[in-house]
Amino acid sequence: MPAEIDVTNADEIREVLRVAVSRAPALLIIDMSATTFCDSAGVQAIIDAYNLVAARNRSAATPTQLRLVVSAVRRIITLVGIDQLIPVYSTVEAALADAPAGT
Amino acid sequence: MADRLRDIQAITDAALSRLGDQELLTELLERTRAVLQADTAAVLLLDYASGHLIATAAAGLEEEVHQGVRIPVGRGFAGRIAAEHKPVILDRVDHSTVLNPILLSKGIRALMGVPLIAGGKVIGVLHVGSLTQRQFTGEELELLELAADRAASALASLLAREDRVAAEALQRSLLPSALPAEVSADVAVRYVPGAGKVGGDWYDVFCMPSGQLWVVIGDVTGSGLPAAVIMGRMRSALRAYALETADPADVLARLDRKMQHFEPGALATVLCAVFEPDLNRVRMCSAGHFPPVIASPGCAAEVAEIPSGLLIGVTRDARRQTATLDIAPGSLFCFYTDGLIERRGQVIDQGLTRLCQVVTPGPAEAACAAVMAALVGSEAAADDIAVLMLQCPPAEPKP
Repeated sequence: MPAEIDVTNADEIREVLRVAVSRAPALLIIDMSATTFCDSAGVQAIIDAYNLVAARNRSAATPTQLRLVVSAVRRIITLVGIDQLIPVYSTVEAALADAPAGT
Repeated sequence: MADRLRDIQAITDAALSRLGDQELLTELLERTRAVLQADTAAVLLLDYASGHLIATAAAGLEEEVHQGVRIPVGRGFAGRIAAEHKPVILDRVDHSTVLNPILLSKGIRALMGVPLIAGGKVIGVLHVGSLTQRQFTGEELELLELAADRAASALASLLAREDRVAAEALQRSLLPSALPAEVSADVAVRYVPGAGKVGGDWYDVFCMPSGQLWVVIGDVTGSGLPAAVIMGRMRSALRAYALETADPADVLARLDRKMQHFEPGALATVLCAVFEPDLNRVRMCSAGHFPPVIASPGCAAEVAEIPSGLLIGVTRDARRQTATLDIAPGSLFCFYTDGLIERRGQVIDQGLTRLCQVVTPGPAEAACAAVMAALVGSEAAADDIAVLMLQCPPAEPKP
């Protein structure tokens, strides 16, 4: 993800995430470790990705696990409660290493 | 050839630009009808909320507008143009090709229509009709497309202005009415539209029959009229739920359920603070919203420590917790939306730190002015900003 996410590039990011979800991966990591600014448009793009994954998982035989990697924007991600929806990690390595949820 | 040039001039005439957008549209329809020797010319605008094309302006068949004709996108003649983003020419007009009952009953025999495109999006349809059988030609289609170009830019600016005026009026209408005299708190507010465009930020202050004082601050994602409309609905729903239950977490859970059902896709952050009548205690619940900054006499201002909750509009099973805080007499509460502290090229913690530095107990009006001067300064904000200051009365002097 880019350094700054706001209304000017949120649509682009929403589309990138939509394509990623449509490929039906077993694990999808949104890497925001380089992101230092994320406003409500960025938050909305992540929630949209969460909703897409949730909708797909309701009918898919192999569900997608969504994970989020954050650094500087951890405060905003926690504030809006995204960490209650999507597991949040500090590094991509940690996100990859963690056992699948529910096992 | 000379005729064609004259026709093109009639439509591209620079003199049209001196007219207001509404007059330009009317005059353009008249001229389009004349140069194409058609009997009717009409503009239908796309209403995004319903997915319907709505007759908005007409020359020759004004009843379309007067009766509020609506055509679903994808169906009928105009609906097909909007759905396919392509011109359509019909030399046979009947129930199989046309939906609009007025075109059918008036005996229109041939139709030609083109999409109205602004900013890469279809915003409506322009069409002309003939009461006599005819086959519209490629040259005539080019003229109609020229007129559509002109009409689309006039309509886009007309719509943008209408939206802005409506959103501003809505924002103004939502400023809280005067506080009841028995409220001993001193309250001041600011609302500044972002980049000259109002958005979905709001605040509210009201008293309950119990004497409890409610302060609400929230931010609907998005901007312009759609965000302002949702904000207005949330504000009044929240007031209604506050009459039903005194627990802010319960109020936010109900509001969340209502929003997910009636405004699917909308996201908002909201913070509710319920002050006891004598302002010695407050119960707060946040749905993804920044906690207030509290400055108590003799202490450095701090961001209130309350649990964060999921923003409104995502899932029905969000955990909502109410936190209770005791208030030191003379404390100042600063409620705000993200526009106050978010700046590109800055982590949010910097904005929060700066805010804590400038919030000090004192008259609410002066505190508002100080915060706006320090965090906004002379730069116009990109996002809208709402601020509500509440100063609690100082301790009673000991007798």
